[in-house]
Amino acid sequence: MMESLIILYGALPYLLRGSLVTIAVVVGAMLLGLVVGICIAAGQVYGGKWLRRIIGVYIWFFRGVPLLVLLFLFYFGLCSLLNINLSAFTVSIIVLGLITSAYQSQIFRGAIMSLPEGQLKAAHALGMSDRKAVMLIVLPQALRLSIPGWSNEYSIVLKDSAVTYALGVAEIMARAHFVASRTYEQLPMYFAAGIIFLILTYLGTKGLRILENKVKIPGYSS
Amino acid sequence: MGRKIFRVLILFMVVSFIVGAGNCLAKGKVYINGIDANFPPFAYVDKNGAPDGFDVKSVDWIAKEMGFKVKHQPMDWDGIIPSLRAKKIDMVASGMSITDKRKEQVNFTVPYWKIAQVIVAPKGCALSVDELLSNGNKVGVQRGTTEAKWIKENLIKKGKKFSLVEYDSAPLAIEDLLNGRIVAAAMDDAPAKDAMRKKPVKIIGTFGMASEDFGYAVRKEDTELLNKMNEGLKRLMASPYWEELKAKYKP
Repeated sequence: MMESLIILYGALPYLLRGSLVTIAVVVGAMLLGLVVGICIAAGQVYGGKWLRRIIGVYIWFFRGVPLLVLLFLFYFGLCSLLNINLSAFTVSIIVLGLITSAYQSQIFRGAIMSLPEGQLKAAHALGMSDRKAVMLIVLPQALRLSIPGWSNEYSIVLKDSAVTYALGVAEIMARAHFVASRTYEQLPMYFAAGIIFLILTYLGTKGLRILENKVKIPGYSS
Repeated sequence: MGRKIFRVLILFMVVSFIVGAGNCLAKGKVYINGIDANFPPFAYVDKNGAPDGFDVKSVDWIAKEMGFKVKHQPMDWDGIIPSLRAKKIDMVASGMSITDKRKEQVNFTVPYWKIAQVIVAPKGCALSVDELLSNGNKVGVQRGTTEAKWIKENLIKKGKKFSLVEYDSAPLAIEDLLNGRIVAAAMDDAPAKDAMRKKPVKIIGTFGMASEDFGYAVRKEDTELLNKMNEGLKRLMASPYWEELKAKYKP
């Protein structure tokens, strides 16, 4: 037991450096998902019939194919086909980002739809263009409403990021596995990995909760 | 306010992608050696997280001797040959057995190590190899290895009554052996000896598979690197450092 703790203590800095990789992957993926997700949500709500159909296929694809399959498909398949040499790290961000964009788009769509329709009409009556009205009136409200759902999505992406170890991304899980292979101390390593993920989940959701309160408009309810 | 945040986020994304792309370009001439870091003593990561092991140190020496730079990239064993072919890595020096099947896909250097495949069981086990590989027993093996393939083709298909359980790495098979989910594990003798030094397991014996040679794998078209590695290996094996490595890692 004592021996396990000593090994764990020795391996901790290495595992914690892995959490930086995990954070980089998750932050990158969430931001990519945010940008793409907002575009998709806007397209789905305001777009024409064909745009909505294409978006439907996109969402169906990225929600329907397992993460591991997509990682291999992009990393080994698409990268060689298109002859582009992306690192495992970059591919992980792109794949996780595209998947979460499909889920995030539905969070944003729900938020946009929950706003009273009269607001847009009022904006038009004031002479605002569609784009201006969406950017200045709809999105600022919808994004605020999306934060709780978004923090849920954060914890899912964080946990999914552990799968990227299959491509050789040296994140928490991969590192725990490496140390366990050298020392044959499986239990303390995976236990430590689990604790680090728990802490990251807590910090992330806590931070988003603070953000939610910070951007809250006093006295406003939709 | 909202727009500002949005702009900052986009800026952040663009910057991070440029930095990422820059890293790719900066790699330039450094050769990347893909290793299975779950394969002690040939390849693993040390206490500080740096790649270490018999093969890692060998390649470091060869790189210095032959005048090129090398970086070791730990990755999953299953995808290591696809990664090599897809140019994610430039070589595999990580205890890879030279086989005809693999030769169709990659080129190998001259052999540098002879390895035997053995059956490992818990220390107190009094059974023989034949007894372990029968009675519907469960036997562990690392997925994607030559021994996994050989056992399926030469023992299970020929009617031996045991089933194979496949693991991501040999150490995981050892762990499950100690958990009691499998009665024995088949693996290369070097990691088996490594496990014996760290866990209450012992080598029962060989199971009829011919010994194999380890070689470094490179892409078919990469003859320049192949020549460098072959020449480097020749010099390494003639140098006193080779004996030092053997004494240090006890493969």
